[in-house]
Amino acid sequence: MNEAESSFPVILSLPDFIPARMLNEFAYCPRLCYLEWAQQEWDDNEWTMDGNFQHRRVDRPSGDLPDADEMEEQAPEAVHARSVMLSAEGCGFIAKMDLIEAEAGAVLPVEYKRGSVPDNPERSWEPERVQLCAQAMILRENGYVCPTGVLYYAQSRQRVEIAITDALAARTLEIARELRCVMQSGETPRPLQDSPKCPGCSLAGICLPDEILHEAAHPNAEAEEDAIRRLYPARDDAAPLYVQDQGAYVGKSNEELVVKLKGTKVADIRFIDLSHVCLYGNVQISTQAIQELLKRSIPLLYFSFGGWFNGICGGMPHKNVELRRRQYRAEYGKESLEIARVLVQNKIQNSRILLRRNSAEGNEDAIEDLRRAEQQAGEAANMESLLGFEGNAARIYFQHFSSMLKPKESDGGLSGFDFTTRNRRPPRDPVNAMLSFAYSLLTKEFAIVLLRVGFDPFMGFYHQPRYGRPALALDMMEPFRPLIADSVVISVINNGVIQSKDFVRSAGAFALKPDARKAFIMTYERRMDSLITHPIFNYRISYRRVLEVQARLLARYLLGELPTPPEFCTR
Amino acid sequence: MRRLYIVMYDISHPKRLRKVFKIMRGFGDRIQLSVFRAELTPKERIQMMMKINPVIHHNEDQVLMIPIGPAGGEIEKEIEALGRPYEPCPHGAVVV
Ligand code: SF4
Repeated sequence: MNEAESSFPVILSLPDFIPARMLNEFAYCPRLCYLEWAQQEWDDNEWTMDGNFQHRRVDRPSGDLPDADEMEEQAPEAVHARSVMLSAEGCGFIAKMDLIEAEAGAVLPVEYKRGSVPDNPERSWEPERVQLCAQAMILRENGYVCPTGVLYYAQSRQRVEIAITDALAARTLEIARELRCVMQSGETPRPLQDSPKCPGCSLAGICLPDEILHEAAHPNAEAEEDAIRRLYPARDDAAPLYVQDQGAYVGKSNEELVVKLKGTKVADIRFIDLSHVCLYGNVQISTQAIQELLKRSIPLLYFSFGGWFNGICGGMPHKNVELRRRQYRAEYGKESLEIARVLVQNKIQNSRILLRRNSAEGNEDAIEDLRRAEQQAGEAANMESLLGFEGNAARIYFQHFSSMLKPKESDGGLSGFDFTTRNRRPPRDPVNAMLSFAYSLLTKEFAIVLLRVGFDPFMGFYHQPRYGRPALALDMMEPFRPLIADSVVISVINNGVIQSKDFVRSAGAFALKPDARKAFIMTYERRMDSLITHPIFNYRISYRRVLEVQARLLARYLLGELPTPPEFCTR
Repeated sequence: MRRLYIVMYDISHPKRLRKVFKIMRGFGDRIQLSVFRAELTPKERIQMMMKINPVIHHNEDQVLMIPIGPAGGEIEKEIEALGRPYEPCPHGAVVV
């Protein structure tokens, strides 16, 4: 227990009853049970969904289970009661039982399972037997006679009878005891090592078992190729929708989101293909559409027409209170400086590498200076000096930024993209206009990811939480500014996607014209979607996914599972 | 990790046909009268089944889901069309 912990003790109390389903999860993997129950992570995957599909017939309560003392008088015909919720104080279990059959004075709990009968001597898995046994123990405590239970395997349509023996009951109680112990410790159990269970686990993408074990043992060291299994997709299936046409109307039609302009349909996107929706300025959206987005946990983001990120509408906050508690606590602890150091150091390093790769010779001194600033940032004694090192590095980097720009000569060469220093609010030249716009895109990206992971995006470690800025999003994006935002700006200029005529100027401020902004967003999206080799885990992954992995690793650091904050540096 | 499916259906009542059609629009692109091309994760496949299942008549109607390979894979390039071309529309970010 570290200092911060002892001054803010976490008082953990368990609910009175353990759900039988949680005993099953715990027997399968203690970490899975902890993530689901204590940290309220829940992600339906195909197995659990299919489980629900198989359960669909039994999930509606029906039939009555006679009281235990009426069982004797019950007519000889069989009783079927579906979806019965029962608990028992003695063992401390609660269960929603799929089906209870009663006959000849005895009851028989039937638990539905997906798939076919396992090919092992017991014709069942231990976690399932334990879950069934817990149900039987609840029934017994409620006065029923219950010598056996049944596991019903939906795919092979087979029943496997399980005798509720004393040995099984003892094993079930032992698992319950371990479960209580782990829950009360407040420590997340470690991931299973190289386990064949992980690829089939519904929380693999949240748990990141191989990544966590690697980071815990060799923080931020490059893993050997194929040593780490990527147990989640390399890129997202769903993509964002941006609506910036003023006067556009967004509505819902069946399973699609429809965008109309002056009554004419201009786009329709299936909800399953939608990751989030960004609305710029005067765009209307119907309540039906908002409701559907909320129901599907698809974030809806509002921006000013100019691109200022105003807010996000995303339903309920994540239920992982433990993480938010650690996040707030870390602000007062040493973690805060440690995180800030890593973020700034990574940012400077990534800027240096971008500069080295993209500019002709003549920058050697600047690159050397950046290397020094990088080192200083890594050793900064406090936030003030860290801010100083960062400011210094940013000045050097932006001084040389224009050496990376090679606009087409036909477009007047560099004259249209004259850039000397970074300025904002309002940006006073085209390059600054694009940088600001790109940073706002990156901010929303991290705001979405942080909310999904369970953070409060407004409470940062490096950036101060003020003026409603999503400070943690600003923190987390530091290393990615050069890698994503700056490099998109460089590429749209150098490839002639954006030219000097693509800007409007009013009162000294520059902004992209709508069509050019569309092209800019598409370039940004391609960058987010492009696959790179992860510098630490050595597998192929999209930038957008990298952001989520970074946020999850940061969470694991704050929860005490990792010794150092996660880094991200291109090599 | 999505897979590519050809989903085709034979629904014997116009009212149910319309319902299935509407559900399918949420999961894929219509390529022929009662044939859809759908890229689905295992989870989305089950979501689709859960929506269609209560709508169809289990003795009279039929919905077939034919997996033809990973989404974005090579197999789709081998599809040949006589007459109208086969043009799957790619999806990605949309900017309006
Ligand atoms: S991915 Fe593996 S270690 Fe993590 S919760 Fe699932 S089974 Fe446990």
